[in-house]
Amino acid sequence: MRIFFHFGRYYLLLAKVFARPEKTKIYFRQIIREIDKLGINSLGIVIIISVFMGAVITLQSSYNLENPMIPLYLVGLTARDSMILEFSSTIVGLILAGKVGSNIASEIGTMRVTEQIDALEIMGVNSASYLILPKIIAALLINPFLNIISMIVGILGGYIATVITGAIPAPDYIDGLQYSFIPFYVTYSLIKTVIFAFIITSVPAYHGYYTFGGALEVGKSSTKAVVYSSVLILLFNVLLTQLLLA
Amino acid sequence: MIELIGVHKSFGENHVLKGVSTVFNQGKVNMIIGQSGSGKTVLLKSIIGLHEIDEGQIIYDNRVFSEMNNKKRKSIRKEIGMVFQGGALFDSATVEENVMYPLEMFTKMTEEERLERANFCLKRVNIENANKRFPAEISGGMQKRVAIARAIVLNPRYLFCDEPNSGLDPKTAIVIDNLIKELTQEFNTTTVINTHDMNSVAEIGDSIVYVHKGEKWWEGSSKEILLSDNNELNDFVFASDLMKKIKNSGF
Ligand SMILES: Nc1ncnc2c1ncn2[C@@H]1O[C@H](COP(=O)(O)OP(=O)(O)O)[C@@H](O)[C@H]1O
Ligand SMILES: [Mg+2]
Repeated sequence: MRIFFHFGRYYLLLAKVFARPEKTKIYFRQIIREIDKLGINSLGIVIIISVFMGAVITLQSSYNLENPMIPLYLVGLTARDSMILEFSSTIVGLILAGKVGSNIASEIGTMRVTEQIDALEIMGVNSASYLILPKIIAALLINPFLNIISMIVGILGGYIATVITGAIPAPDYIDGLQYSFIPFYVTYSLIKTVIFAFIITSVPAYHGYYTFGGALEVGKSSTKAVVYSSVLILLFNVLLTQLLLA
Repeated sequence: MIELIGVHKSFGENHVLKGVSTVFNQGKVNMIIGQSGSGKTVLLKSIIGLHEIDEGQIIYDNRVFSEMNNKKRKSIRKEIGMVFQGGALFDSATVEENVMYPLEMFTKMTEEERLERANFCLKRVNIENANKRFPAEISGGMQKRVAIARAIVLNPRYLFCDEPNSGLDPKTAIVIDNLIKELTQEFNTTTVINTHDMNSVAEIGDSIVYVHKGEKWWEGSSKEILLSDNNELNDFVFASDLMKKIKNSGF
């Protein structure tokens, strides 16, 4: 039964978040801040993880190729498609749910328990919209770029791995990258990223916004935020894949 | 003047306010006292509309606040200054930005006018040379004073303070108490303070409402409070050894 309560309250919060803003100038300033905080600050971790994942996928598929009948360029194709289809959207989404999600939940949760949200409300500010909308918009704008960067850097990581280890010849890897490329896979990945960006910001914001108590509860909200947004990402991953690729 | 008539508020099963009625007068320091958990904060937040009440009326100088929609409330909100328990300063904004914030929200003042007004209020609460600092970089007593500066920046008719000297040392607490008293007289505000500090009550309280388990148990002046024969009130007032000694010495 509690799930219906949460779903209803989440929906009502979103209605408040998307109510028409009164002072658009302040929102604009906040969005720029959030792009910096949520997007630019995540660039490092996205790049590091993508490079290593691209490398590992490449090495694993190289070493698993024991049958000489299977062409070597398949390694490049595998690395490319795994990065585009799954890694740069879903896995990066899960990582950002941890990093960005806990950050959002604890920031908004702290503002709640220290009554900063009450202080905003008493000054006639729609606190939900003021605090949450800039985060959602910032993530919707910046996460697709993180996604693209992750794809590129991941594929590059695979290339570097082939050069360094010689697991397969680098030209075969390059051949594989170009073999039967399906542009829609990138679109699919971007669509997933946009939906995940919404989950990663709105779900933790919900948990933060309805924190009640003190520092301990802020910690709990933050944990819950990460768990729920991760589970939702996995769920929507299945739904979207069925919808878009079937 | 603020008038409460039969105010009820519940959170789910938890019936917190059970029909509170009273009057807070202009130019006076009106105090709400009671144990932790008795519902003081909920009462204060209900009066300023942060909690929607379930039953009853809240009237600001003949304007029935509790029956207004959000748009109409805004005109009254402009006249309200509130000092939250921990100060509730915005972490990510400097001292001066914090104080300027209500001006940005409610007035059409220019940046310079806002800064000038903010500086005037900061000076009034004896804060100087801290404009560019962040709340985390100043002491608790200073945070409270900045919060008071932010609360008076719009020249409020109504001033609310939730436990203004909780977490402060006794000396700083007296400074804050006296500041609130002076501001009340200076600007002729209707001031409402939540506290469980009997020192404050004796020091600056003009009229006292004692809340017990969400009900108004007693009301009167700070002189009458020591003479009351209400059991629960006596338990509360004379909880500390110091107050007991004062009582036994026949004050
Ligand atoms: N937002 C809320 N949701 C649910 N219960 C609340 C909320 N705010 C306060 N309460 C409950 O109301 C009661 C009174 O709390 P409060 O007014 O903070 O007491 P006081 O300020 O006198 O110490 C407590 O039992 C508290 O748990
Ligand atoms: Mg309280």
